[in-house]
Amino acid sequence: MKHNFKIFFLFARNSMRTTTQGRLGVVVFTIGKIIRFAFLFILLFFIFSKTRVLKGYSIQQVALFYMVFNLIDTISQILFREVYRFRSLVVNGSLDTILLKPYHPFLRILVGGVDILDMILLIPYTIITIVIASGIVPIGQNIFLFFVLLINSIWIATSFHILVLALGILTTEVDHTILIYRDLTSLGRFPMAIYQEPIRSIFTFVLPIGIMTSFPSQALLGILSWDMFLISFILSSVLFIVSMSMWNFALKQYQSWGG
Amino acid sequence: MITVKNITKIYKSHIRQNNLFKDVFFRQFKEQTAVKDISFSIGKNELVGFIGPNGAGKTTTLKMLAGILYPSSGSLSVLDQNPFNKKQEFLKQIAFIMGQRNQLIWDLPALDTFDLQRTIYEIDETKYKKTRNHLLAILQCESLVNKPVKVLSLGERMKMEFIAGLLHTPKLVFLDEPTIGLDIFSQEAIREFIKEYQETYKSTVILTSHYLEDVKRLAKRLIIIHKGIIMYDGSLKNIIEQYSTAKRIKITLEDMVPKSKIQAIGIPVTYTHPQLVFSVKRSELPEKIKQISQTLPFFDLTVEDASIEEVIRTFFSENKKENSKS
Repeated sequence: MKHNFKIFFLFARNSMRTTTQGRLGVVVFTIGKIIRFAFLFILLFFIFSKTRVLKGYSIQQVALFYMVFNLIDTISQILFREVYRFRSLVVNGSLDTILLKPYHPFLRILVGGVDILDMILLIPYTIITIVIASGIVPIGQNIFLFFVLLINSIWIATSFHILVLALGILTTEVDHTILIYRDLTSLGRFPMAIYQEPIRSIFTFVLPIGIMTSFPSQALLGILSWDMFLISFILSSVLFIVSMSMWNFALKQYQSWGG
Repeated sequence: MITVKNITKIYKSHIRQNNLFKDVFFRQFKEQTAVKDISFSIGKNELVGFIGPNGAGKTTTLKMLAGILYPSSGSLSVLDQNPFNKKQEFLKQIAFIMGQRNQLIWDLPALDTFDLQRTIYEIDETKYKKTRNHLLAILQCESLVNKPVKVLSLGERMKMEFIAGLLHTPKLVFLDEPTIGLDIFSQEAIREFIKEYQETYKSTVILTSHYLEDVKRLAKRLIIIHKGIIMYDGSLKNIIEQYSTAKRIKITLEDMVPKSKIQAIGIPVTYTHPQLVFSVKRSELPEKIKQISQTLPFFDLTVEDASIEEVIRTFFSENKKENSKS
């Protein structure tokens, strides 16, 4: 375990050093990410200028959902950035050299490209989330459940990214798969309650996007039932087992392209 | 060290039917056998040359031995393990260096990759420094380690690639076309490096290369594979003796000689004054040398074996003839 953490930190250090080599890129991409975040916040305020509640949620509560979504999304972006670069490794055959290293390949292809730019943004996001949450939830209340579900959300995101990697090997296609994943998860920016049935159930129980993006906020607000709390862990475990089986299947099918 | 029994690898690929609907909904596949029922074993401290034309199955075999590819059938044991299980203790004892792959961190100096390798392979600090400095000294490239990899030439990068791949002094080294695309000086440096590395660290090395000079200079044993089947497994010396039916006589002439005098001995392979080269059958060699001594004025005369390329070409053409007869 200690050895794996050491390798993870070395990959993270190298990734940061690579990113910071181009200073212009750092500035431009950070500004871009801030603008994108600000625009969605403006959209949120625009919606609430027309209505006082959204499916029973106040503006502060919706803002909390939005911020928790951003936290989960940003942590996923920080950890799993390397997945976006996976296709080239498969197509040019560099995956071969990774599979031959004495560590689990996920250390390199899943979490081997920690994104420092998103790491910077995590600080203001966390502060804004705390400010919004403290306005509607008594400090400390439900915080343990919130963190447990936040970890569960990262676990679900990990499983989704492993699925993307497995599909990357089987189909040499990553970009579209990751775009579909991004589009689906973006549905979780707002509470799942705003969607009609059966979409709401599909995005909660079939594709556990709702569990990933909404359940932590619901737990913090004290509106998540215990059976839903348990179901969330059962579904995330099933998803993890499915994604690992897909990964092992994909490895057996791997044809080592690129000569 | 390596035991391969009746290994087969079949690749499945999609057949285009020139019909989008059929291609999407009624897809057809064809199976292509890359390696067919091959068996061999390799002992400790051997350096084996693995050769064959493009698409013969060399790299596929190496990738199955290393555990990258899963064989369609058959069994194999490498360092007493099934390589596809990719156990850490197995992976720590092997290295796979590919001339067409890059494992160095592109934007950073090679030294950063070396440090990363030290952590990955859990190499003791003292041993790491000793091995790194030794390998750098053999390749004479100490000055390159602090330059970003992206500014290095192909030959320089390959040297760094070798050092990164061998820092953990593996027991088994797979070299897949390590000199591909390199100039003759870099090729020579890499060959010398492989030779010295294997002698110093007593590793088992399996080498594939399209440059037969690599194999000739390094390997004592040769495995020839063609269309997924092993056609020869034996010593390099034997195959040269068996298929080198001709010898080359190289002469440096003292004076210009009339063409008729030269043609009386035989049609030369090349003649650019003062260099003259004849290719003669082994059995005719003493007689030809006698004839040359009597008729041509020369400074120097040497007799050489046919080139390895010629030997392998003869091997393949003889096999083709035998196959067409049968």
